[in-house]
Amino acid sequence: MSYRIPIGPYHPALEEPYKLDLTCEGETVRDAEMTVGFNFRGIEYLAERRNYLQGITLVERVCGICSNVHSLSFCQAAEQLAGLEVPERGLYIRVILCELERLHSHFLWAGIAAKLIGFKTVFMACFNLREKVMDALAAISGNRVNYGMNRIGGVNRDVTDPAAVLAILDDLETAIRDIVNPIFLDDKTVASRSKGVGILTREQAQAMGAVGPLARASGLAQDLRKAAPYAAYDRFEFNVPVETAGDVQARLVVHALEMIESCKILRQALNTLPEGPIHTLPPAGAKFKIPAGIAVSRVEAPRGEVLYQMVSDGTDIPKRVRVRTPTFMNMATVRYTVLNQELADSPLIQASCDPCYSCTDR
Amino acid sequence: MATQIADIAPRLVELGLGEGWKWDKGSWWLEAGEDFDLRATTAKLVALNARFVAITAIEREDQQIRLDYQWDLDGALLSFTTATRDGQISSIVDLAPAADWVERETYEYFAVIFTGRATLLPLMTRQGDAPGINLRKEPNPEVAQ
Repeated sequence: MSYRIPIGPYHPALEEPYKLDLTCEGETVRDAEMTVGFNFRGIEYLAERRNYLQGITLVERVCGICSNVHSLSFCQAAEQLAGLEVPERGLYIRVILCELERLHSHFLWAGIAAKLIGFKTVFMACFNLREKVMDALAAISGNRVNYGMNRIGGVNRDVTDPAAVLAILDDLETAIRDIVNPIFLDDKTVASRSKGVGILTREQAQAMGAVGPLARASGLAQDLRKAAPYAAYDRFEFNVPVETAGDVQARLVVHALEMIESCKILRQALNTLPEGPIHTLPPAGAKFKIPAGIAVSRVEAPRGEVLYQMVSDGTDIPKRVRVRTPTFMNMATVRYTVLNQELADSPLIQASCDPCYSCTDR
Repeated sequence: MATQIADIAPRLVELGLGEGWKWDKGSWWLEAGEDFDLRATTAKLVALNARFVAITAIEREDQQIRLDYQWDLDGALLSFTTATRDGQISSIVDLAPAADWVERETYEYFAVIFTGRATLLPLMTRQGDAPGINLRKEPNPEVAQ
């Protein structure tokens, strides 16, 4: 006999509001249905009724975790339309912000995963480290969440003390290598909760258009920082960790190794930060004009590919702003990953996709 | 963007993805002609292990909706531009399951009917809500001019 368990939209097992109806036989999940839209704010509709400057502020609020990649994608699209070149220092600072944001997002993810595994010491350690990243972000931008760093033509604030950020990075890298990664990569308790659990096969990931660490943990070696570099990513050496098992353990491994790669990119960017302006300015007395046209911008957010398509009709207000977020593609895979799994594992399996419902619902 | 874009247009032709590809502002574009077969092209892209990315809907002045079907092929973004006829277009969900949520969302935002699929259940809105959120015309009084 099967029975149905409604979970959510507001439930202790979920980090964000969505609804999952699980059909179970005994303790085994046999089917899952998902309902989203509880955070729907009509961002695309609103973006078509605000000018470009207001649009930057609006899209930065699509997500509270990867806010920077949204304003970056928006600005990159506008820069392509306007034919603006961002100065080299501005491009480097964009990379620094992106990688700090990836670190704090991955620490958040690692902490939540640790909590759901039952390893609360690691949860505390990850959130402590995340605070250090947010301190670095606040030191650069003045803000902990919505940084207000991107502008059309570059960035708003300089990185005035790279040595201070490098010092924070030293502490972080040591903690990742000595505390976080040994637990995620080698600990038996973590392996017993994650190995063979919530498998997403390579074929399923491909069919569902999965992106980011979720796809890379299922054997799909895709990362826009390598495949379609933006900002200054083509100047740096780094690896893209890929695992093939497709289970929760593989996702843990990919996230853990990506944190090391982010540190590697940050170190290079901070050590080789070029001199020069941080943004392009219009000629004295003139305004930037966004000519009519269509542009697409893609950025590798912590959770995977973000796509913005912008349509301009030559006025101050974009005619269309399309926002496609990573969790929008990734979350539909939960239907596959929870099937035939233990009911008690379903919160961890969902969390291992690193869902963001602010992004999904927009 | 400082990064050089490799010319993949000849390869796209070779793969049977149509002729007339142009790189412009972040994507490779193909203006799909009258003979464009959306479902056959989708099947071809799936066979090539391309990744479905998005459908971007844009309102046109003739009341039809321009639809850009976007796929990633080895890191290159391919955009096929087509449009609805009488507000409808064929669904590709049976060929590319990743398009499910995107088609449902496009219905809600632009009232595009995707034919040949079982249902268009609400995704962001709720049962009974009228489709076409982005087709509403009321201006925002707060917008700075």
